[in-house]
Amino acid sequence: MDVTLTIDNREVTVPAGTLIVEAARRIGIEIPVFCYHPKMLPVGMCRMCLVTVGLPVVNRETGRPEVDAAGQRVIRWLPKPVTACTEPVSEGMVVITDSAQVAADRKGILEFLLTSHPLDCPICDKGGECPLQDLTYRHSPGVSRFDIASKYHAAKAYPLGDLIVLDRERCILCARCTRFQQEIADDPVLAIENRGRDAMIVSYSEPAFNSHYSGNTTDICPVGALTTRDFRFHARPWELEHTASVCNHCGVGCNIVLDTRLGRIVRVMPRQNELVNEVWICDKGRFAHHFHASSQRLTVPLMRQGGRMVEVSWDEALQHVATRLRAICEQHGAEAIGGIAGARLPNEDLYLFQKLLRQVIGTPNVDYRVGLSAGFEDDIVAEVGVACGTDLGRVGCGTAILVLGSDLDEEAPILYLRVAGAARHGATLINAGGRATKLDQRATHVLRYRYGSATHLVLGLLHVVLHETNEQGRALTGNEIVPGRVRGLAELRAHVSEWTPERVATISGVPAEAIRAAAHAFAAAQNGIIIYGGEAGNHPALRRAIANLAIVTGFVGRPNNGVIAVLAHANSRGAEDLGIVPHRLPGYAPAERHGLNATEMVQGGVRALLVAGADPFAISARQVNLEFLVVQELFMSATAQQADVVLPAVAPGERSGSYTNLERRVQYFHPALLPPGMARPDWSILRHLAVLLGAGGWDYATPAAVFEEMARTIPLYANMSYERLTQPVEISRHMAHYIYAGMSYQSEAYEGLQWPTLAEQAMHTFVLEWQAPPPDPPTRGVVLVAPRVLYDGGTLLGQTQLLASHVVTSHVAVSPQDAAVWGLADGQRVRVAVCAREIALPCRVNPALPTGVIAIPRNLANNVAEMLLGEGQLFSPAGLIVEKQQGS
Amino acid sequence: MIRTIGLGAVEIARAMWITLIHLLRRPVTNQYPNEPVAVYPRFRGRHVLKRYDNGLERCIGCALCAAACPTDCILVIAGENTPEARYSPGERYGEVYEINLLRCIFCGYCAEACPTEAIVLEYDFALSVYDRWDAIITREQLLQPHTPPHIVLRDDTTLEPNWGQWGGVARPAGKAEGQASG
Repeated sequence: MDVTLTIDNREVTVPAGTLIVEAARRIGIEIPVFCYHPKMLPVGMCRMCLVTVGLPVVNRETGRPEVDAAGQRVIRWLPKPVTACTEPVSEGMVVITDSAQVAADRKGILEFLLTSHPLDCPICDKGGECPLQDLTYRHSPGVSRFDIASKYHAAKAYPLGDLIVLDRERCILCARCTRFQQEIADDPVLAIENRGRDAMIVSYSEPAFNSHYSGNTTDICPVGALTTRDFRFHARPWELEHTASVCNHCGVGCNIVLDTRLGRIVRVMPRQNELVNEVWICDKGRFAHHFHASSQRLTVPLMRQGGRMVEVSWDEALQHVATRLRAICEQHGAEAIGGIAGARLPNEDLYLFQKLLRQVIGTPNVDYRVGLSAGFEDDIVAEVGVACGTDLGRVGCGTAILVLGSDLDEEAPILYLRVAGAARHGATLINAGGRATKLDQRATHVLRYRYGSATHLVLGLLHVVLHETNEQGRALTGNEIVPGRVRGLAELRAHVSEWTPERVATISGVPAEAIRAAAHAFAAAQNGIIIYGGEAGNHPALRRAIANLAIVTGFVGRPNNGVIAVLAHANSRGAEDLGIVPHRLPGYAPAERHGLNATEMVQGGVRALLVAGADPFAISARQVNLEFLVVQELFMSATAQQADVVLPAVAPGERSGSYTNLERRVQYFHPALLPPGMARPDWSILRHLAVLLGAGGWDYATPAAVFEEMARTIPLYANMSYERLTQPVEISRHMAHYIYAGMSYQSEAYEGLQWPTLAEQAMHTFVLEWQAPPPDPPTRGVVLVAPRVLYDGGTLLGQTQLLASHVVTSHVAVSPQDAAVWGLADGQRVRVAVCAREIALPCRVNPALPTGVIAIPRNLANNVAEMLLGEGQLFSPAGLIVEKQQGS
Repeated sequence: MIRTIGLGAVEIARAMWITLIHLLRRPVTNQYPNEPVAVYPRFRGRHVLKRYDNGLERCIGCALCAAACPTDCILVIAGENTPEARYSPGERYGEVYEINLLRCIFCGYCAEACPTEAIVLEYDFALSVYDRWDAIITREQLLQPHTPPHIVLRDDTTLEPNWGQWGGVARPAGKAEGQASG
């Protein structure tokens, strides 16, 4: 329902419930604010937004507005000014924002705020982009009546955690930071302590300000009270050059701005994209940019000559690679050559990588699944992925989200914010996982299954959906699509009939009633999204079951419906799309002949290996058993050290390209820096190599040319081009989502483009295939899990000194119950043995783990979890031995 | 004809008269470098960075000078004071401070922008160098008291409002020397 009101003699019609400050913004009237932020609930703390409000007098007899002799409505003015940020609009309301009275109110508020503000703008990091500074210039009286000697003094440069510095003098107590931590980040680690002039921001968490999102508080701080340790004093805001980029640390694909000065990145800021990251980024994305400027970067091609690496020219190195590859190809056939590309490479590089191997060399051996990507793949999103136009930031009541086997706070932090935000706005959130995660606190249903039984759990949900009816006696299946477009429904119904919640309960340990309730809640929603991650087990039957669940509930092919796979790397989605797997070509076309996968290649299935942006030999147990190894890398990784030729590549901030994020959104990023030394982008290296190998038509001059060919040859990218990827956000969307002062500079906002799933094609027929689930997991014994953590031992993260203390050290997490049984305490060493491999690590008691589960995070120093479990395994089979190490 | 010659002679005589008068006057030409040239107190020459009386640097590395500079000839990179290494009062100091004198137009906007009166255009005008790189003067050079022998101040201070010494402008009430920032 819309409401019409008058602001400064201008009429505006807005939806009921809109706040005055937002309504004014619609017609370009800016009401100054400090504490108000459109992403958070209003509190009216700073009083800066005071306006005069009048309401029409309504005749009680007739119920109609009274009019005076001149035919004007009679207005009853409210006796006191009103805070525009807390007051919703009403019909016929009259608001005055430009009167002398309002100006005097603003003057007074600012004069008061500045009595306890040091005005040290020259040394303040916010100076130049500071809302307080701007509004003071615009609205303040210019002079203060207060004695400067009585000015408030408090702690400056107080470390609020090791990433954020608090200046208590500058703080105006708007509580944006505490509210962000409480409402949005779900880490209520900040609070305001004491009252009046003694009020101050404190953190009682241990370690202080323990949150993955702490950097965002510095963005929304309307003064320079919260600044980051990373950017502190590095530049004044006007000295920075802003380059629109995309974060490369996880699959969410947060839009960022690289702020550079003197050819170095000095800070990373979020760039607004309401469809991806809104206005937030996580601390890893914000602070882990130092790898760009690392002195350990490779800058010159290296070639092994007489057992040691020698610097050579590009011509020499590439010529050598081409000669050797040709020789091996002639001697042993093209199948003796393989390629492993990392999922951090942009789409253009991945496309050329597989094209080089498949078309120029002629080998099907291509894979990306090493390291964090090992053992987790997704092939259902192409059919049932979230439909184009999905906006997790706007879903709420009526939407159900099923999170299966993923700790979003660690694996995809900004996705966590969006899922938690949806739950905050009324969405049904079902969190199914093997252990307690942070998302549990927002979940309406928590399903704690036994590791290895995620497939069974989904079959249980399917059983309820297909065999039960709701309270009104109606089927739980989605009725829009089920009749005409689905095949195999009867067979599937027959197959899942034996997977009753009761049977699933005995296998998975989730109570039957909980499964039933979750299935009913999920199917009852109008929109449904399934988010699944690696901890669910990655069995083909699981993926099939998830796709079937999405199809039978009808949660496919419409905006805000579908499946998201929480893949590991920035462009894992792109790697899947572009066929960097041995059994698929670009665009999900099945390959005629299947090649070797990464594990087979590494274990000696090939004689020559091309590695680009991956570290398959990171696990020291592996021996390099190859005739020829070429590595394109940023750093001298474990694999590069074994290589015959090492080619220096450029980092994402030094080049352009595109990433595809978890929601299949293709996003372009601009270059911000010059590459170090002679480093070249991977696509350019691959291009030169192809030309030297005699390929024709490889005359790409820029990544744009590569992308143009992708758009021409791969149907997924049919309507895409760099121009369309970088089209500015439409003005109507811009007005619907904007940032108030606080993130006080603007940068280009692009939304990227999603490629449509098969489900969105009207003619697509869904085939409900049945795949038998894996064997039931043992109900007794101990399970070792290798979850992903945000601050892991990754190469790029390791280059950031600031985060060094946050990087998780190798340890075994044990539940308190198990710790009591085994007589373990924090820090004591524990011996873990699986299948003849064993290791001793310090123990950490973690109450989030259920009994019988121990966890060693993946991708830590020395890759202990991968050594024990094998790279592709996410949790252990039976036969795990855990015991306290003797003598500790 | 005769009249023309006569008028010409008068003109020449007048010109020669002026020449003769100037022959007898004191010359305005300065025999620099044999004689020093006195500069006015408000002369804008080579910059110096000032210190407080307690030895701490006035510069807080705020880069407002660089922001005000119309030729972008100033580079400031700020650093953070630590209890062990304190350069200026407050938290921040200018870790790198460079001025490219080849680019500088000596407008004095930097001194005008400076919130702590740290950067001052003083009197040195003899700025020629053999190497272009030497024209970039660094923080260390700027912080040295710069009084080369060829600089002589004009003594007619009547032209000058009584400012006392440079940098001695009234500070905000209630703040003692050395606490002007922070």
